[in-house]
Amino acid sequence: MKALCWEGINDVRVQDVPDPQLLNDQDMIVKVRLSTVCGSDLHLLTGHIPFMQAGDVIGHEFMGEVVEVGPGVTKHRPGDRVVVCSFIACGRCYYCKNELYSLCDNTNTNPAITQKLWGADPGGIFGYSHAMGGFRGSHAEYVRVPFADHTAIRIPEAVDDMSAVFASDSAPTGWMGADLGGVKPGDVVAVWGSGAVGQMAARAAQLLGAERVIVIDRFDYRLRQAELAFGVETINYADTSVGETLLEATGGRGPDVCIEAVGCEAHSTGPQYAYDQVKSKLKLEMDRPIAVREAIYNCRKGGSVFVLGVFTGLVDKFPLGAMMNKGLTVRGAQQHGQRYIPMLLDRIASGELVTSHLATHVMPLSEGARGYELFKKKEDDCLRSVFTL
Amino acid sequence: MNTAGKAILAAGVAGAAAMARRRARGSAAAGEEASDRWLTVTVYRAPEEVQPLPDELARWREEIEIRVQPAAGDKGTELMVRPIGEVSRHELRLALRRAKSVLEAGEVVKPDTAPTHPGPMGKALRLVTNRAGGGGRL
Repeated sequence: MKALCWEGINDVRVQDVPDPQLLNDQDMIVKVRLSTVCGSDLHLLTGHIPFMQAGDVIGHEFMGEVVEVGPGVTKHRPGDRVVVCSFIACGRCYYCKNELYSLCDNTNTNPAITQKLWGADPGGIFGYSHAMGGFRGSHAEYVRVPFADHTAIRIPEAVDDMSAVFASDSAPTGWMGADLGGVKPGDVVAVWGSGAVGQMAARAAQLLGAERVIVIDRFDYRLRQAELAFGVETINYADTSVGETLLEATGGRGPDVCIEAVGCEAHSTGPQYAYDQVKSKLKLEMDRPIAVREAIYNCRKGGSVFVLGVFTGLVDKFPLGAMMNKGLTVRGAQQHGQRYIPMLLDRIASGELVTSHLATHVMPLSEGARGYELFKKKEDDCLRSVFTL
Repeated sequence: MNTAGKAILAAGVAGAAAMARRRARGSAAAGEEASDRWLTVTVYRAPEEVQPLPDELARWREEIEIRVQPAAGDKGTELMVRPIGEVSRHELRLALRRAKSVLEAGEVVKPDTAPTHPGPMGKALRLVTNRAGGGGRL
């Protein structure tokens, strides 16, 4: 079959790879219909996550049709249209039973790597390096889905394919930021990042009752899209002071909840960015936590900061003093998608949650390299490239 | 892959190897203490559901000492083992993880087929991943 493979740093190519097989009783095979790029893929492309092998199939946000099920699969059958959560979950360990699905104990086949890096291993994920299980990704004609009953969710008829694909990762990740960030009715919420996850976090905050939602980015086209889709307020940090604008918007308090949806290769302006660039190039710092610093600094006293962006290791100049002395709650997670996807599909079906506008560039998988180039360089107002199969 | 890419990958793999070497030296220094410590997993099942032990662990029965006790706060059952025979701690970590997965999820998830052309750095990474199932912090 054809698949988009990581062949080296900034080198992805469509290759012929063997078809996936059922390897476990609880596996199923999905014929992919749509698979989208994600900002976190860029950390693989740039070599920021050094646990890739040439020939690894990338991609983790997808939907498709079930074509084969193992004897241990009870909830799905061939012909079902499903969205597959990017995180694979067994559904029965302590973490899954407590709806912390991305922390599943039984799905990372290479646990020693992340146990040594982080003290414990999160669950496995499709197409996201051998540190996260080495599972083949979704930019392929077919994907093997382990623990299929708990990893895939059937799509209601009222939800079209393009809307459903974002229920795989972007929408549940964004929702989780607002939910576990503790957004309450009347809150003012600031979201750093106006990509797909940031926009979904902003919409989730609205639906959870936030009175004002303010989205921060450096690309006008992304901010305009968030304004048009959801009616949020926006700040372009390239030409406006984020701190002063947020203070003005909140009567001098600061936002109640700050959601970071940027990740480890954040951009900024001024000397702080140059400092982080130099340190990360010299390998004296693994990640650039610029948006996290801003979120902590600008959050109101006693407020909450949720980190949705992907980080890999150690950071420098973490504002621990601000966090402690302002009494903040700081929390982060990879997405616990299984907890939210059924609810999100219902909200998409009812029209309450719009997602399909995120797909700005739809193209066949054969153009996968171009899709990543557009996405990475933010060319042609690209928010997400989505591959058809 | 370009030169910079190879350098970054090499740094990552070398870093992991260096970390492993440091930890190995630390373990050696710890000596008796390290070899006496229990390897432990918590299985999210009641104590009576953990017995009989799955084959993954039962096959080492003559080579290991076993303790089974309820975990604090209804978090399941702590399964603790340490070698008294020839079995290595690496083999025991692997067996414990597999036993836990069988008890909780009914099976041990198998890794996907590896790429056909991993390249030199990918081959180096495979040296790490081939042992990752029995390594780590149990």
